[in-house]
Amino acid sequence: MKYIQKADLLAWLDITAWEKNLIAPRKIGNQILYQPIENSSQICWDYIRPDLSLKEAFFPPTERLFMMKSNSQQVELVESMPEEEKIIFGVRSCDALGVQMLDELFLENIPPDPYYAKRRENTTLIGMTCSQIGADCFCTQVGGAPDDPRGLDLMFKEVEDGYLLQVLSEKGQEIYESLPKASDYYGKMPDRPRGKPLFIGAPESIDWESHFDDEYWMELSDRCLGCRICAYVCPTCRCFDVRDEPIAGQPGAFERLRSWDSCVRENYRQIAGGHNPRAAKGERLRNRFYCKFFYYPQQYHTSMTVACTGCGRCIEACPVNIDISEIISHLLEVAR
Amino acid sequence: MNAVNQTQTNKVQAFEPKIIAYLCTWCSYTGADTAGIARLKSPANIRAIRVPCSGRVSPEVILRTFEEGADGVLVLGCHIGECHYDNGNHRTAKRLPILRALLSFAGLEPERLKLDWVSASEGERFSKITTEFTQQMRELGRARWRIPTQQWHAFHPLMEAPGILEIKPNGSKTGEVKALEYRPSGTYQKIEAGIQETAQRLLSSGEVSCVIGYERGPRGRVRPVFISKSDQVDRLVWNPECTHNLATYLSQKIHDGNQHKPSDTEDQQAVAVVAKACDSRAIQVLLTENRFPREKVHIIGVVCDGMQQSIPVHQRITESPVSPMDNAYSPAYQARCLNCDQRTPLIYDTLIGDSEKTVPKVGNPIAHQLDILEDNPPLERMEYWLSQFDRCIRCYACRQACPMCDCPVCLYERDDSLWSGMGTGLIEKRAFHLGRAFHLAGRCVGCNECERVCPMDIPISLLNLKLAQEIQNAFDYQAGLALEPSPLVTVLSGEERLS
Repeated sequence: MKYIQKADLLAWLDITAWEKNLIAPRKIGNQILYQPIENSSQICWDYIRPDLSLKEAFFPPTERLFMMKSNSQQVELVESMPEEEKIIFGVRSCDALGVQMLDELFLENIPPDPYYAKRRENTTLIGMTCSQIGADCFCTQVGGAPDDPRGLDLMFKEVEDGYLLQVLSEKGQEIYESLPKASDYYGKMPDRPRGKPLFIGAPESIDWESHFDDEYWMELSDRCLGCRICAYVCPTCRCFDVRDEPIAGQPGAFERLRSWDSCVRENYRQIAGGHNPRAAKGERLRNRFYCKFFYYPQQYHTSMTVACTGCGRCIEACPVNIDISEIISHLLEVAR
Repeated sequence: MNAVNQTQTNKVQAFEPKIIAYLCTWCSYTGADTAGIARLKSPANIRAIRVPCSGRVSPEVILRTFEEGADGVLVLGCHIGECHYDNGNHRTAKRLPILRALLSFAGLEPERLKLDWVSASEGERFSKITTEFTQQMRELGRARWRIPTQQWHAFHPLMEAPGILEIKPNGSKTGEVKALEYRPSGTYQKIEAGIQETAQRLLSSGEVSCVIGYERGPRGRVRPVFISKSDQVDRLVWNPECTHNLATYLSQKIHDGNQHKPSDTEDQQAVAVVAKACDSRAIQVLLTENRFPREKVHIIGVVCDGMQQSIPVHQRITESPVSPMDNAYSPAYQARCLNCDQRTPLIYDTLIGDSEKTVPKVGNPIAHQLDILEDNPPLERMEYWLSQFDRCIRCYACRQACPMCDCPVCLYERDDSLWSGMGTGLIEKRAFHLGRAFHLAGRCVGCNECERVCPMDIPISLLNLKLAQEIQNAFDYQAGLALEPSPLVTVLSGEERLS
């Protein structure tokens, strides 16, 4: 096991923040968010997981796909490719796993999404294993772990006075070579993370097809507000909307935008002419869970069994306590 | 030669404000013509836009005008009593001062929005008003309202809030946290039993098809519940965590899911709802706005002892349902409850609880914050609000949780991006938040659900309270205190205190 002292890591982070684009968890008001960092003192070290997921790094809340400029006769299209290189530090395993799930849609689905691919190529993910399991965390129940290395380039694990590190990819090797002297570690291995993950049972053992017409979905959705918190904090929700909009202050210029969307919102599925195939709130909420646990594994041949990484953000943020763990438990109980 | 150069430089350097004037076609526009015919001078800074009535100049139009870079906006209509449409200008007279207060709170100099009356024959008056206004704008300098075109980023660095206010969690903004004085737990149990009993009676008699109340979820959190079978009424609970405003669900339940389609009375279901004092005010607003007939809702009014702030996530006990009294975390009253002296619902069909005791009223921490903000110069306020809106992720939880926000398609979510684009830029987010705040003026009852549900802790209650104060000062009106419509949709009475 390689080991690096905390002071050395901080020094490296300071230099990296100075020279490159470093993103790390940072406390802003009451939130902890992945944010650009100017020096290591801005990094928040004591966190369960940032309040918003990492998907923003590759699939931003809004992005310009291209710009259209027209003058009387011609229309010119200007490509808008993300060029920025990023190093993201302090990534939790659940978020890295979420990125792997996004890859299935954006990269492995033909044709691959060039914007996503470019960002993925230009980004290095440095993980930090969890030392505390949050009240709403259940990664171990959906095939993850607090120290799951999948999707990461390099992973740190906190030990006394420093960090153990594990190189996981070529990009990680590059980072490793730029780090100050790592030594071999013979000390005490770190304890298992404190806390107990939430028990939800095995979602993959549920016969989802048989529950599609359950009255349960309608009852469950009675209290749903139809907001989009769950989808926007989720590391694997990947729906988007595309629209052309004029650019303010530039007559004749338009941009094609892609923005996050959520299947829970009322008009998500509405089609031309006004028909809405998912008119009832229950149908929309049901879709969210079917997408995670049934449609995703059915449509993508993936190492992950479900499109949920167990980060628990949706449980924590839902204003009316719609709890994914409760839903799974309910369906398992009904089957029994 | 030098002299010529000098004059040219002066010309370039002198600041000439861009002023948009919305002129009523029946009076002020003709007034401008009259000024022209009489060869009176009006400044060239004025860009006139002819409108059918000053009442047609919606707040969104004015907001957009400033967003697009206007340094001043002038709205000129007919004198009160001379409106071509009888009372179109009454709306303008009431609406604009409130909008000006909102814009000023958000950081625009209030002088930049001016409302005045000019009739068709008053060419001289038109010339005078425009000249004076232009001069005033020239002195004020360029407006800073416009936000430069945005670049979209993944992880754009969030703006840092100026140190005006230190925002503490859960609305305890002054740090003035008063620990909840729990009534003897018997009080809550007695109310709880009362709610269950009433629900039982209403459901078994078939008087209502559904009772909307609160339950404790399997992992300990209190949440809304919809009971339609009388054998399930024991799920209903009452305790200081019952913070949700259940009035939000009424339209949708009464109209059986089709809240945006007018339904025949036969298709409507009668529904019972558990309501605190603040919730009952919201129900009064909904009734005033004819969202549903009075007889379709049975209000189970509950005397409220104040609600507690939500327990920070990491201190939440998750293993087993526990009563808040056993919790190691000592909860405090929500900020809104510290200023509330209405314990008893204002409208109810059944009242549960003993209304003699009073909630300890210790002042209004939100109003205190508001005062601090107002003491700062406009630019600081603007910086503060932009830094708050910057965090918004446009999840629309605030709107969805709001009992008043019930438009079939939100103005800020139209497919044609008419009033705001779909993106998460600061321009869009400010337009949404200010627009929504204005739409709630005279309707918001201050339940602060919007702020509670916000995953990014945006202090929305400050905006709402600001407008509630303005409405109260101008019209002596507080939303939901009686079955009487918002003053912003009625004609002038002559008793208003409008600036």
